[in-house]
Amino acid sequence: MRSILEVEGLTKRLGDFALDGVSFALPDNCITGFIGVNGAGKTSTIKLLLGLMRADAGDIRFLGEDICKREREFKNQIGVVWDDGYFYPELTLLEMKDVVAAAYSEWDESQFRKLLERFGLQGKQRIGTLSKGMRMKYAIALAMSHRARLLVMDEPTSGLDPQVRKELLDLLLAYVAEGNSVFVSTHITSDLDKIADYLVLIDQGKVVWEEEKDRLLDTHRIIKGGAEELTPEVRSMFLTLDESSYGFTGLTAQREKVCRHLRNAQVERPSVEDIMLGYIGRSRI
Amino acid sequence: MIYHLILKDLRLGKRYWALLPIAAVAIPFFIVSKAAAATSVAFALSSLFIVYLFFNSVSMAEEKHRGAAYLCATPYTRKTLVLGKYALILLLIGSSYILYTLAALIAPERLPVLGIQELGFSLLLLAAVFGLFLPIQYRLGYEKSRLVFFFFIFLMPFLLPYAVGELDGSSLSNSMAGLAPVMQGVLAVAAAVILLLGSMAVSVRIYARQNL
Repeated sequence: MRSILEVEGLTKRLGDFALDGVSFALPDNCITGFIGVNGAGKTSTIKLLLGLMRADAGDIRFLGEDICKREREFKNQIGVVWDDGYFYPELTLLEMKDVVAAAYSEWDESQFRKLLERFGLQGKQRIGTLSKGMRMKYAIALAMSHRARLLVMDEPTSGLDPQVRKELLDLLLAYVAEGNSVFVSTHITSDLDKIADYLVLIDQGKVVWEEEKDRLLDTHRIIKGGAEELTPEVRSMFLTLDESSYGFTGLTAQREKVCRHLRNAQVERPSVEDIMLGYIGRSRI
Repeated sequence: MIYHLILKDLRLGKRYWALLPIAAVAIPFFIVSKAAAATSVAFALSSLFIVYLFFNSVSMAEEKHRGAAYLCATPYTRKTLVLGKYALILLLIGSSYILYTLAALIAPERLPVLGIQELGFSLLLLAAVFGLFLPIQYRLGYEKSRLVFFFFIFLMPFLLPYAVGELDGSSLSNSMAGLAPVMQGVLAVAAAVILLLGSMAVSVRIYARQNL
């Protein structure tokens, strides 16, 4: 599958924290979830992608081209949605739009007006008076009104109520159905269970893995069994293990092998969060 | 694009819109009424006050809401954002000059119209102050640069007489004195332009390296 964005060896030291050789590739026409706990390096990576920080080392390519050499063309083709908004609350929605629209070569005013109407937003309303959910919708309206090929979103669903979250997820699915791509960073992985095609896990400034979501969910299993079955050989097949005097619960990526050894084990399909926490817990042992 | 950035800044500072025209006229009238000899600095001081007040209110909003980080993720380049700030300062100085001149034309007996010499030296003073202030603000941010500026204002009464004393009788001062006032004004404007261009280049370099 063709990659829309490739990141290779991205390195940045930020005080005590460092992004250490971050590499991944976003498949085109997919929703890619960028997951990790708070402080794992998600926002720093996105800031480096968008040129808000300068990398100490590494390359970023958009549709095969180095973004440093074609920064304006790259930014013309991406839409950005920040968790904090980064808007001026004193301005009205239309005033802020005027500033943003002037930057894009393919600004689509009718699309913007349609989205404002769909979201129930009033152009003359001041940004400072918007609720968190309305502000997020406004950010999405701006990001989707200049024919962007890639939408980059940093924690878009945190702090939103379930109804707004659902609306947002539906919107992203429709956006990708039109041939576009989405890169969404979040620590709320339940949203990604529903919409993501591909996942990248980052922890302590390093990419742990990148994988198709369905493949991840197929290859991993939560196994529950009796304590007496936990031989050293079986133990080595698990990524994480929670043990008690009665039994254990563990996450494994070797489902068939474990099942051959533990005939009476209870097998459950994990969520993205289970897998994420399993790998993060493992890397910190 | 720069037009929209200036418009955005004017909107961010709109609470001062009513105050600034009053200050642009009232401050020079007050200075001239108290010290007729200070005619040449009346415009410079009122502009300094207006531009500093307005620019700082915009900088405060920028620092608080980090809108520049959003704009930098769009096709606006950091260089364009910096140029927008310098353009805002020039616009504010130009507006102050227009208001001052209108007031001077309405009441010429109380406020003299600026000649090219006074205008040139006023612009040079403003270019020196803001040419220094902007790179410092890009380097240190709004809060710290404000402290630096206050410290600078505090030192002014001590440094200014010393600087004037040094300049008086210097070869530069002697050669300037030999020139016609119009020529002095033109040279001062040229020096102001060079100062601002240099300052702009430094600000662009500093801002390009900042983490937003």
